[in-house]
Parts: sequence; C-alpha cells; structure tokens
Amino acid sequence: MTSIERRESSSAGASSEPVGYYGLPVIHGPHWKWLIICYFFFGGISGTSAVLSAIARLFDHQDGPHIARVATYTSMGALLPCPIFLILDLGRPGRFLNMLRVLRPSSPMSVGSWGLALFGTATSVSALLQVLIDVKARGRTSSVGSLDSAARLFAPVPALLGLLVAGYTGVLLSATAVPIWSKRPWLLGPLFLTSATSSGTAAVAIALSLVERADEPGEVRLSRFESLAVTAESAILVGWVFALGATAEPMLSGRVGAVLRYIVVGAGMAAPQLIAIKSQQSANRRSRLLLTRAASILTLIGGFALRYAVVQAGRDSADDPLATFDMTRC
Amino acid sequence: MTTSARSQETHYGFLTDATLCIGCKACEVACKQWNQLPADSPSEGFHLTGFSFDNTVDLGATTWRHVHFVEQTSNSGVAWLMLSDVCKHCVHAGCLDACPTGAILRTEFGTVVIQDNICNGCGYCVPACPFGVPQLDHADGGSHKCTLCYDRLRGGLAPACATACPTASIRFGPLEELLQSGRERVSTLQEQGVPASLYGDENLGGTGGIRGLGALFVLNAPPECFNLPARPRLPRRNILPAALATVGMAIGLCVAGALTFSADE
Repeated sequence: MTSIERRESSSAGASSEPVGYYGLPVIHGPHWKWLIICYFFFGGISGTSAVLSAIARLFDHQDGPHIARVATYTSMGALLPCPIFLILDLGRPGRFLNMLRVLRPSSPMSVGSWGLALFGTATSVSALLQVLIDVKARGRTSSVGSLDSAARLFAPVPALLGLLVAGYTGVLLSATAVPIWSKRPWLLGPLFLTSATSSGTAAVAIALSLVERADEPGEVRLSRFESLAVTAESAILVGWVFALGATAEPMLSGRVGAVLRYIVVGAGMAAPQLIAIKSQQSANRRSRLLLTRAASILTLIGGFALRYAVVQAGRDSADDPLATFDMTRC
Repeated sequence: MTTSARSQETHYGFLTDATLCIGCKACEVACKQWNQLPADSPSEGFHLTGFSFDNTVDLGATTWRHVHFVEQTSNSGVAWLMLSDVCKHCVHAGCLDACPTGAILRTEFGTVVIQDNICNGCGYCVPACPFGVPQLDHADGGSHKCTLCYDRLRGGLAPACATACPTASIRFGPLEELLQSGRERVSTLQEQGVPASLYGDENLGGTGGIRGLGALFVLNAPPECFNLPARPRLPRRNILPAALATVGMAIGLCVAGALTFSADE
C-alpha cells in the first residue's frame, strides 16, 4: 500500500480532513473592495446613461431631447468619480497613467482602461454639446437646429464606448482563476451589463423627475425600459446561480447570501416590479410619479448590492480550495 | 555553459523533484537572501501550517520559494512529503495576459518577470494566476513573484535556489532537457512502485491552454496534496465567451431600447 492509498483510506472516515494543503487557498484572491464596487456601480450607470441618451435622441420623437439631455448629464456626473475610485485602488496610485502605456487585447483591464479614457472624452464632448444647446435654447434668439443635428450625429460615439465601459467589467472578472467568476463566463458578462442598464435607467428616471417637469410618456417609457432590464437581469442572475451549482455557495450563504436575497432580489428586483404594476393602476398622476421614483431608487440600491455581492463572493470563492479543485479536476 | 553562449531561442526553467527534497529550506533562504526579501509579515508573528516546519505557509510577495511539508498520518505513523514550490513561469501565463501596464514580460530566457519600476499595483495578475503565485506587497504597493533570478541568469549564474539545493531536488537548465530527464525520472520511480507523475508536462494533457510550465515538478502524490490544481485553466480562455455573450446582450438591450422609446403613445 502506498502512502497515498494509506492516506486516503485513513481519511475516509474523518470528513474533517482538510482539503489540499491544510485547507489553504490554492489561488490568491483579488484585493478589490469598496472602491472597485463603487466604480462598477458608477461606471455602469455612466456607460448605460450614454446609451440611453443616444437611444432617446435618435429614436424617441416625442420626449427624445428631454430624456437625452438629462441622460447626458447623468452620464457625465456618474463618470466623474470613476477615475478617482480606480486610482485610489491602485497599490501605487502615482503610476495610474501606466494603464495607458500599452494596449493588450488579452487583458480586459487594459481594454477597459482605454475604453474608459475614450468614453470620458466622448462623454465630455457630448455634455459640452448639450450645454451649448441649453444655452442657445435659453436665449431663444437663434435656432438650435445645427447643434441638435451635431448632437444626434455624435450620440452613437459615447453610446458604443459606454457599452464597452458598462460591459467589460463582467468580462474582466470572468478572465480570472476565481471559481465563482470564471466558471460560467457567458452569464457573468451579460449579468453585469443588464444590471448596469437597470441602474442607469433608474438613475436617468430619478434625475428626470428631479430636474424637469417631464412629460408623462417619457416617464412611462423609462419605467417600462427599467422593468425590462430588471426582468432580464433577474433571469440572468437566477440562471447564473443555478449554472454555478455548488460553486455559487459564497453567493448564497452568510452576509453575502442575505444581501443577495433581501437587497438584490427582494428590494432591488421584486419590489420595483410590484411598484411598477401598482403605479400603472393608480389614477393619480402625482402618486404615480412618487411610486416610479421609489421603484427607481430601489433598483439603484439593488444594483449596488449586486456589485457588492459578486465582488465579495469572488473573494470568498478564491479562498475556498475545494471550489478551485472542483473546477480543475475535469 | 555561460549565459552569453545560450541561444535566444532556448527556454530555461526548473525541474523540482519531490522525491529528492529533504525539506531543508536552503532554497527559501537562498532566495530571500539573494532577492533581499524580508520575513513574511513579521507583525503576524510565527505561524506553522501543520506540526512540522512550514512557517512560510504559501508563495507570496516576499516568499518566492515555498517548501510544502505534507504530513500524512496513518496507523503506521506519519509520512512526510516535501516539495519546494515556485512560480511556474507558464508557457502561456495568466498574469502576463492580465497585466494592463506591460510590467509583466517574457524574458529572453522564456521566463516571466514583473518589472517593478512599471507595475502600478492594480492587482489583476493576482487572481489571474491559476496557481496563486503573484501577490501585492502592502509595504510597497507592487505585485511580486519569482523572477527565476533574471539578474543571475544575465550574469551567467544559475538561480539562487537551484544553486543552494543540496540534494539536486531543484534543477535549473534548458526546458527541453529538464522535460526529458523529468520523464526519465518518473518512469524510473514508477518502476520502483512510486506513484510518480510529471506536473507541467504538456503531453500529459490538462494544462487548459497554459500549454506547459517553465517550472516542472516530479510529484510522488496527487498534485492537490501540494495545493497544485490537477488541470489548471488559462483565464484568458474566458474572454471570448464572456465578450461574445456581453456583445449579444448589448445588441439585445439596444434593440429593446429603440423599440421601447420609438413606440407611439
């Protein structure tokens, strides 16, 4: 009998025998915490707001300009803290410009850094155009026609880059050795993008209700699109957790599990949908407005909680040697 | 053979033999001494994994060679397995793929090195390594791992750990030669009844896109006993499916958005 066979036969009865090497992690987990969670949240909102702005500007012939205006400013506002979060998270913040030293297609972080730099430029241009339109519109002396068509022409640029910024983060997490992030890559990317879409739409809806006496159809369309994104997001989340199987454990247990059940799914997905149904039945315009605003705030909270749950579950998953071994045995 | 005589095409690496390791930790000491690495988090105090001599616990920012002490208790007493672990200098390296700054590069020796003067401490290489090798050092903020003694290689010397090893458990040389002698060693051991295997041999399969390791290991127990994944995967392989699915979702959301916002009330 070899030493290995002896070990296995002797440990067969004792289930407390640690896995691998004294139960120590096989891989090193990421150091990412609140700064990165905040970046994922704000970056997602900024990117998808730019998409929303372009869609409203190009396809909405009623409220388009209003929604596009608020979405452009929301995108710009949500973008501003992003570089600060990212730079502060670096071990050597003074070297943040090294992110643009090379472009490496094999690194989602490299592609994302370039994407964010270009998106920042494009969003600033589009915010500037919007400022010019607003200033001219206030004067009412000259036509805003030429600026309007410039904004329409330019709208797809920040929108496409915004999709990159909102979407690369899920790909970035997938391209690691962390079991819960890497096991089902075709679901984590779409989960992050749909979550960013629901958060971005909610942020634009809140901003619209705060700064502009919006026309009812615009609000209804935003709320409808938000519901659509939340529906897609919840379907992908459920599919992802099921597809992960036992690897999903850090997502379902302990504090992360509680956050997922009560805040992400309960407050962030189920409650807004119920409120949306309720608001459609309400005859009072003012109560409808309050209800949709409450739904949007809950969607935002849920979106932030989802980023927290996914990042924290990744850290826990990396520390579990059995999760790594499960993935590297077949 | 001097470094200058070495061909640009030749890849160099380690062959670490668990059956020859006596757990003296000369490799750990030589590595720390040559690379001027401090003790592991002195604030945390002295810590052992088991009942024997493993006080460095894991590969990390300040431990680039780590000797595993696997204690196998049974009715007939305790069996000891020892193995000196190190960065695998993968043929396709997850850390190198992930590095956004170009700090991590492939050297003329085929090894993988983090350039400390470029690394900005983003930390992406840390979870991108399927073996848990690079780690951020909280003292200087950068990511660190074995350089396969790049400076010594440039100077025509063998790496510090291989030079210090008293039993030739750690061998340094051209990867092709090491692969050959590793295979021979494994077949000799298997003839003697030892359940030996060569970890990192591409031809044995299951290196999941990594294609092969620049640090090979002769093991006398399943890899997982030494916390080595049996069939590691290259994280880069996930980019295509994740990116395609995300692009598909993006198209879907844009179409849905256009339809929602163009609808006449």
